[in-house]
Amino acid sequence: MAGASTVPQGTRDAAPPGPVENDAAQRIEPPKLHPLLRFILIRIGISILLIWGVTVVTFLLTNLVPTDPVAAILGDRAAADPEIVAQTREKLGLDQPLIVQYFTYLSNLLHGDLGVSNQTRTPVLESIGQVFPASIELGIGAILISVVVGLLLGLLSALRQNTIVDHAIRTLSLIGISAPTFWIATVAYFVFFFKLRVVPGAGRLDPWITPPPKATGLYTVDALFSGQMATFTNALGHLVLPSCVLALFTIGLLTRFSRSSVLDIIRFDYVTAAKAKGLPTRTVVFKYIFRGALVPIITVVGLAFGSLLSGAVLTETVFAWNGLGQYAYRGATTLDLPVIMGVGLVIGIVYILVNFIVDLIYGFVDPRVRVR
Amino acid sequence: MKRLTRNFVAICSTLALTAGLAACSGGSDDSGGAGDTIVAETAFNLKTIDPHRQFEFTGSTIDNAVYQTALEFEDGDLTKPTDGLCSFEMSDDDKEMTLTLKDKDAKFSNGDPVTVDDIVFSFERLQGIKGNPSFFLDGVKVKKVDDETVKLISKDPNPALPYILPNASIGIVNSKVVKDNEGTTDENDGAEQFLNENSQGSGPYKVEKYDADSQVVLTANEHYSGPKPKFKRVVLRNVSAETQLTDIQSGQAQVAYDLNADQAKQIDESMGKISSLPSTRSLYIFNNTDEKLGGPAADPNFRKAVMAAIDYDKLVDLAGEGSQRMASLVPNEFVGAVSKDDAPERDLAKAKALLKKAGYDGEKIPFHYPSDQAVNGVDLAQLAETLQAQLKEADINLDLKPAPSSTQLDGFRSAKQPMGIGTWGADFPDPTNYNVFIPGGSVAERVNWGKDADPKLAELAAEASKAKDSDRDAAYKKLYKATTDTGVWIPLVQPVDTVAVGSSIQKFVSNADTSFDFAKAE
Repeated sequence: MAGASTVPQGTRDAAPPGPVENDAAQRIEPPKLHPLLRFILIRIGISILLIWGVTVVTFLLTNLVPTDPVAAILGDRAAADPEIVAQTREKLGLDQPLIVQYFTYLSNLLHGDLGVSNQTRTPVLESIGQVFPASIELGIGAILISVVVGLLLGLLSALRQNTIVDHAIRTLSLIGISAPTFWIATVAYFVFFFKLRVVPGAGRLDPWITPPPKATGLYTVDALFSGQMATFTNALGHLVLPSCVLALFTIGLLTRFSRSSVLDIIRFDYVTAAKAKGLPTRTVVFKYIFRGALVPIITVVGLAFGSLLSGAVLTETVFAWNGLGQYAYRGATTLDLPVIMGVGLVIGIVYILVNFIVDLIYGFVDPRVRVR
Repeated sequence: MKRLTRNFVAICSTLALTAGLAACSGGSDDSGGAGDTIVAETAFNLKTIDPHRQFEFTGSTIDNAVYQTALEFEDGDLTKPTDGLCSFEMSDDDKEMTLTLKDKDAKFSNGDPVTVDDIVFSFERLQGIKGNPSFFLDGVKVKKVDDETVKLISKDPNPALPYILPNASIGIVNSKVVKDNEGTTDENDGAEQFLNENSQGSGPYKVEKYDADSQVVLTANEHYSGPKPKFKRVVLRNVSAETQLTDIQSGQAQVAYDLNADQAKQIDESMGKISSLPSTRSLYIFNNTDEKLGGPAADPNFRKAVMAAIDYDKLVDLAGEGSQRMASLVPNEFVGAVSKDDAPERDLAKAKALLKKAGYDGEKIPFHYPSDQAVNGVDLAQLAETLQAQLKEADINLDLKPAPSSTQLDGFRSAKQPMGIGTWGADFPDPTNYNVFIPGGSVAERVNWGKDADPKLAELAAEASKAKDSDRDAAYKKLYKATTDTGVWIPLVQPVDTVAVGSSIQKFVSNADTSFDFAKAE
């Protein structure tokens, strides 16, 4: 469990046992930080280092690609004109040594500038600001469905271990994990939109509907803010099918994890004691078993959410959902280095933030973590 | 436990009900219905809609609807340029073109009249900002004569100029507004972002919303001097080909640009119509003429053997109904195209005899192609695999080297690839556009076919450049027939440009230069 390993160990725990017999023991100790605050500060420090690492890795990796980005920008005729090639190279700063390019990138980054797309000449930060809310909206929809359905299925499966219900749920979760997303998405779109007409078509809104005034970039939320109920229901309708398709994999994953986690907990003595005390089944299941099983599940939910936020290329492609995944894919296929680096950085930050939040949640869910 | 099951069923039912209600709820009261809107779908390759910088299909589709040009191709007849904003006259030596402002009622979307100054600025901006389409007016001097006349003066005879000017990249912009927004006629121009968000054309539409990643919305230009378009709004969306098919079938979209032959067959009359036009793109095999880099491909006998080993009819089947054989790289509808009756034929015995003559011993030859690209629905990866199988029958062994488009293109431009698949889309419908394939031309340099490599071709090229009027056709045919005979470029197939049009559109004009004319749809 990635998060568990990051729980801080107090320095006193690490010190050798026994009395300290030197002058240092007499010194006035600096005021102690609250363990939680210290934990947060350390995590923030580590996160900043990690983000810097992400900039180095994305920069190096994108520059290792054995292709000249200028070739991807210029047409055949323009590429044959050395003057235009040189001018383009200079304009993009590609005529500078790699180390200069990196420090220019880093300096711009510190000023909140992720660069400009080589292809569209649009600031990367501005584009990410437009596409990221779409991914967040889709990711939240998918994770909500996944958590509710996945956890309940896992719980049910564990409590009915080795019955037909258990076998059926395990088979379904296996299908969810192994079915190719692109195929599922295409079939689901064909069946539910074209044949059954129970969901609207591709896109975040019907083409003839104007998006609501931008506040958060999440169409459902913005439509509510501006009181456009028809736009809200339309946006919500468009969200349903892609969220369900995207959730299939995560439901499968969470079902399996929560089943195995519940099965581990169910064998503990305190659960047996709770049952022996004659506590109601609901209390035993939700207060004793489920809560105890939550810690490893939270890690999986966190990672799954990070992965959903960082872009679901195939689902976004089929449902014409203009999110981070499609933006990243387009940047990669056109060798748009600022876009690739910008998206890489955002995805890195998303994972770091999600892990950070997961670590904090541990403290609330598991008293043992709080004590440590 | 039973209670848990009941709870689970209840939660799932609630979720499903909520989802179902949300999904089924439509709603368009915030912006009106869909009746006056055309929804068109394509997989975007959009970089900009600044007319003097755009050079891709999506940008061109938009600019065709937004900007007028000095000359036009009427109803898509690419052999006859006609008057647009201007009428034109060429001098006898083809060095001077006189443009006279004809449409004096033409107005930009802000109501300003179109003037000769706008035309001069647009031409000079195209040349000066050094964008992808700047080459269109290379070597051309733009001179304002008076408030009605512009002269385009070329150093060398330039008979292709009337075929070049209808291109959407030479759209006429409102010079005053563009200059006020950092527009210049040199490399310091900074009006691209402004033009992306605030179109400055006099065409039937103007840009309402521009998003290079998801969709572009056009609305009718109330100052347009031509017939008012019936559809007041056009939404061009970035959608994959698979989804386009479902959207056309369901009526969600009215125009789909990227369906391949198999997908097009799935649309019956109740769902829509298929408009098939000969594409202006050519698919070919290139062979590197450098012995060290090309290996066997540098040997003329080997190249001719490859030409004789290909089953062209099967390639036409692969490209779909309406695609054609090619006898040169020039599309069959252009002046100077070699008749497709003269296209190479499959002859395996001849191929094997030529291979023997070339001393080819079956070694594997790296064969490069972009694996992520489809040209008018022809998947280049599938084409490469088909060619590999066909050539194998003549004992020619291709070692397939797929790569992403940008990587493959970079390799091709560095002139180091021995063999592979190339594609060429016409920049303008004139045989001079294919001079780049003649020894010393910019594309010929990528297979190390230098200027002095073939004196006979150089002579034919010189003759063709001097030919005038009806003689040009014969002269260029001779040149390109001789070029094909060298086997350096092996023309494979001219694909078909398929546009699916939904059943809600009763009348439309679909032509080779604009694919689908939004303004003329009813």
